[in-house]
Amino acid sequence: MLSPERLSLPGPEYLAQRHVLTYMEDAVSQLLENREDISQYGIARFFTEYFNSVRQGTHILFREFSFIQATPHNRASFLRTFWRCFRAVGKNGEMKNALLSVDALLSGRSYYRGDALYYNERQNYLLTVKEYHCLLQLLCPDFPMELTQKAARIVLMDDAMDCLMSFSDFLFAFQIQFYYSEFLESVAAIYQDLLTGKNPNTVIVPTSSSGQHRSRLAPSECSPLDGVEASLFYHCLESLCDRSKYSCPPSALVKEVLSSVQRLTFYGFLMALAKHHGINRALGALPDKGDLLLDPPMDQELEKLLSQVSGLSISTPAGSSGDIANLPTRTSPRISSPWKPLHHRQKVNTESDGSTDETESSEN
Amino acid sequence: MATRERFPPAKEEAVAARGGGRSGRLVSMVPSKFRAGGGGRPGPSPVNNCGLHLVIQTSSVAERNKPFEFRVNKDQSSFHNRLLQHDLEKNHSGKQGDGRLLTPLVRNKQVYVPVAANLADLSGLELKQGGGCLSAFGDSSIHTPTKSRTRQGCHSAGPNISDNIHFGSSASITAFPILHRAADEKILNSDRLTLERQKLTVCPVIDGEEHLRLLNFQHNFITRIQNISNLQHLVFLDLYDNQIEEISGLSTLRSLRVLLLGKNRIKKISNLENLKNLDVLDLHGNQIAKIENINHLGELRVLNLARNLLSYVENLNGLDSLTELNLRHNQITSMKDVDTLPCLQHLFLSFNNISSFDNILCLADSSSLSDITLDGNPIAQETWYKNTILHHMMQLRQLDMKRITEEERRMASVAARKEEEKKRESHKQTLLKEKKRLTIGNIARQWEIQQNRVALVTSSNQDKKDSDSCQINCSAAYVFPEETRSLDTILSNSVQGLSVLDSHLVEVEGDTLYLYGSGALESLDRNWSVQTAGTVITVSFMFIEFDEIVQVLPKLKIRFPNSVHLKFKETNIVTLQQFNALAQVRRIEQLTVDPQGNPVVNFTLWKYYVLFRLNHFNLQKINGTEVTQNDIVMAERLFGILAHVASSELPQYRLLSLLGESRKKQFCYMLEAKGKKSGIVSEESNDSRRVGGENANRAILNYTTREFHTEKLEEIKERKKFCQTYIQDLVKEAADINMKNESLQKLWPQMFIELVRDAVIEIRNKNSYMKLCLQRITDQK
Repeated sequence: MLSPERLSLPGPEYLAQRHVLTYMEDAVSQLLENREDISQYGIARFFTEYFNSVRQGTHILFREFSFIQATPHNRASFLRTFWRCFRAVGKNGEMKNALLSVDALLSGRSYYRGDALYYNERQNYLLTVKEYHCLLQLLCPDFPMELTQKAARIVLMDDAMDCLMSFSDFLFAFQIQFYYSEFLESVAAIYQDLLTGKNPNTVIVPTSSSGQHRSRLAPSECSPLDGVEASLFYHCLESLCDRSKYSCPPSALVKEVLSSVQRLTFYGFLMALAKHHGINRALGALPDKGDLLLDPPMDQELEKLLSQVSGLSISTPAGSSGDIANLPTRTSPRISSPWKPLHHRQKVNTESDGSTDETESSEN
Repeated sequence: MATRERFPPAKEEAVAARGGGRSGRLVSMVPSKFRAGGGGRPGPSPVNNCGLHLVIQTSSVAERNKPFEFRVNKDQSSFHNRLLQHDLEKNHSGKQGDGRLLTPLVRNKQVYVPVAANLADLSGLELKQGGGCLSAFGDSSIHTPTKSRTRQGCHSAGPNISDNIHFGSSASITAFPILHRAADEKILNSDRLTLERQKLTVCPVIDGEEHLRLLNFQHNFITRIQNISNLQHLVFLDLYDNQIEEISGLSTLRSLRVLLLGKNRIKKISNLENLKNLDVLDLHGNQIAKIENINHLGELRVLNLARNLLSYVENLNGLDSLTELNLRHNQITSMKDVDTLPCLQHLFLSFNNISSFDNILCLADSSSLSDITLDGNPIAQETWYKNTILHHMMQLRQLDMKRITEEERRMASVAARKEEEKKRESHKQTLLKEKKRLTIGNIARQWEIQQNRVALVTSSNQDKKDSDSCQINCSAAYVFPEETRSLDTILSNSVQGLSVLDSHLVEVEGDTLYLYGSGALESLDRNWSVQTAGTVITVSFMFIEFDEIVQVLPKLKIRFPNSVHLKFKETNIVTLQQFNALAQVRRIEQLTVDPQGNPVVNFTLWKYYVLFRLNHFNLQKINGTEVTQNDIVMAERLFGILAHVASSELPQYRLLSLLGESRKKQFCYMLEAKGKKSGIVSEESNDSRRVGGENANRAILNYTTREFHTEKLEEIKERKKFCQTYIQDLVKEAADINMKNESLQKLWPQMFIELVRDAVIEIRNKNSYMKLCLQRITDQK
């Protein structure tokens, strides 16, 4: 912890940069808020608990948005918590087994002989932006819709914002949008400047002001031939990353993303970021895409809960179990147009091989 | 009289009966007997009946021509007058239908006759001259209806005319025939003259008959009343069945008491100004459309306007003596002023067009009316007809010629009251219903306005980028107020009685409590009767912001302990977390969230979230569909982790603050249980959780309303600001201390070295140092 570089900055600046101040302030603030309760078991105990929870990433549960987005650690913790809590929503094939096991648990034998049909019919849980937003709000009551919508825009075409998204698509897009939101705004500004033909050398890279560019039109959808030249773009982003005091993706990874193509669009870039395993790993909040639905400890807990529930409800007549086919199979209104720069993106992102693309597969 | 014969006997009887105005008629009321006895033989007939007796009398006195005094007995004329009227009318119509109509009267004659027997007492006509006058009257046969019994008189009179009266046609300018009577005839019937069926087209000039009191022009073709202005003593003028088009030439006949103008062509009542003593006015069978110019007839007791063209009865004031009014066979739809007639007893309104009692409401205000006919009107078809009439006219003794018994009257008043109550009730109901409808409309409109505004605010806050959508919104906002204004006016126009439109509505219907509009929530503060509160099972919220409902939910469970079904429609439930708020209700078995105005219902997951969050209620139905076991399992699968994370990973201090005070205790218990080996304890802790009702781990998922939340955020901001400065100060202080410390640390080695060096230098020369030390000691001393 006491890295040598701390000496390169005056104390307060160093503390601020490492967000220590943020947590100290918050700790005091929490202390004030709950002083009656805390006085019962001691201030030392409180601080222990507080910083422990910060370390574990559970401190952001049900907190206000301004706090949740205050530090990268908080953001990562929030992402992780979101993933953990609503992983079940994204489960697909696994659901079948789970239900079967519940059923077995309930009755000791399987009711679902014909369930193959049912499960084939059943869609993955695809939700709309609004629904995802609702889920976010369960964890953070004042989570702004705007951010959710931006995340959805990475996944969906501008005119298809009501479409359904799979959990993993949304989650990775949301991760990029949420964790790097200031960075992305700067990128949008740069992209816009590049598009309008300004000399990239003279581009004043926006660093701090995130609000400054909000008023600008977000880069609108462009045909694949539009967009900007990747190398030039990278050049600008590199300098941005150097100067930005907000978190940026590692420039090496950005380079990797950008080097594989000649030209790309803004959303193509974001999509590539969202799909990039390296960036996800660097961020460290979420598991790899392949493991996204796995969380053994939680599953264990869930099993326990389920056994309770079913234990409770065995007393009630369980003859209705056949009704499970009533589960909402959503007849999606516009499910056929989810991805915008489909070909383009595949060109851009060699890693995206469609097999991991759940929304696409759900189209079939 | 031959004409008389023409009538079928029954009819004649009827006529006679009705024509009872004159004594002769009265006699004739005894039909069969009369016919039998009086068939032309005037002699005293053995009949025991008074009518007969009268006949005898008449006949016997017939020869005497004492002047008769025609006086109508004001006290008791009603019935004979009535008869007269009916008779006249009958005469006029001469149709079979009428005859039948009258039969009841005929049947009644038995009743009348005995009364009539005593003429002096009873009949309207008091004949001062004794029996003689009666006969005289009959003889003169002024009255055609002179029944057969008068026939004797007729016989004498008829020939009289033809034989004894001589029409001289004066060759002078006047083309009028001049009438002279033979002297003996004159002496015989000095005061009456009958010119019946003489085919007269004009009134003859009647010379030397100034003392005439009774003049009969029945069944002629007279078109104009003329040449009688010299007959100033005329009391009785009969112009029945002529072709008179205008009432005229009567202005000098100041003593005229009876004016019979039935079956003429009169269109307008006029020129009666001087006939102040008029007692009987018969205008039946004319073409009169309006009652007018009769207000001065204070003596008038009988007015017959049957078979005219009246559609509206009014202008009756001033007829202070009117006891009988015949308005049969008109087209009357409504009438008034009847209550200004102090003596009116008999009113005949049969065969008109009266369809509603409201149109003849003035009848109810008449205190004298005792007999009324309304048959042949639409109103008489109504089931409530009799009851209503009787109820409103308690003084009535006879309706449609049937006597009213006490029993009937009592039943009527009861029934009518019931009817009225029912009507009032239903009226009230419809009024209420209408008001309810309007109020709900109003609430809905306000709600829409409110929603629109909210949407506008958020949109303008939110996307400044989407100038397009903003424009749409703006324009929508511009359009809307106008729309509402016009709607407003429409509404207020239609409302009238219910002018004040409420902005909320509370209604208990069956077991459902309906709350419309946010103002309705205040009603939960009211004192509800235990019974009402107990019956409410369903509570339905409409047009109320969910956030406002949240605030009253605790009250709900106190006020309506039995409510197990909550319904939401147009309540703006947008997010899943809003359902958290429902957890504080005591019991819910059913939940209905209408998609209308509650976007959350469009979410796939909402039902599962509700099941998960309100798991402790054991919900039976959501939006009408049964909750199945698998739904519950699914809900748990989807959201169980959330609850688990929430309860197990939150630091304790936050847990406590997130849980309400009341739940802390049970939670502490749970924590204790958790502290033990989780494997063993799990069932136990389950039990404890379930005892507490709501799962504690779910209780953490609560909902704060928007205002409260912003308030809280504000508070947090404030506190944060304070903490920020506080921490900053602390940090600065710490940094300062740290810096000093570091500086000290940096300086200290050098300082130490310097100190040591100084000391070493000082003690290097041992001797001099010793001296120095000794010197110091001595100095001290």
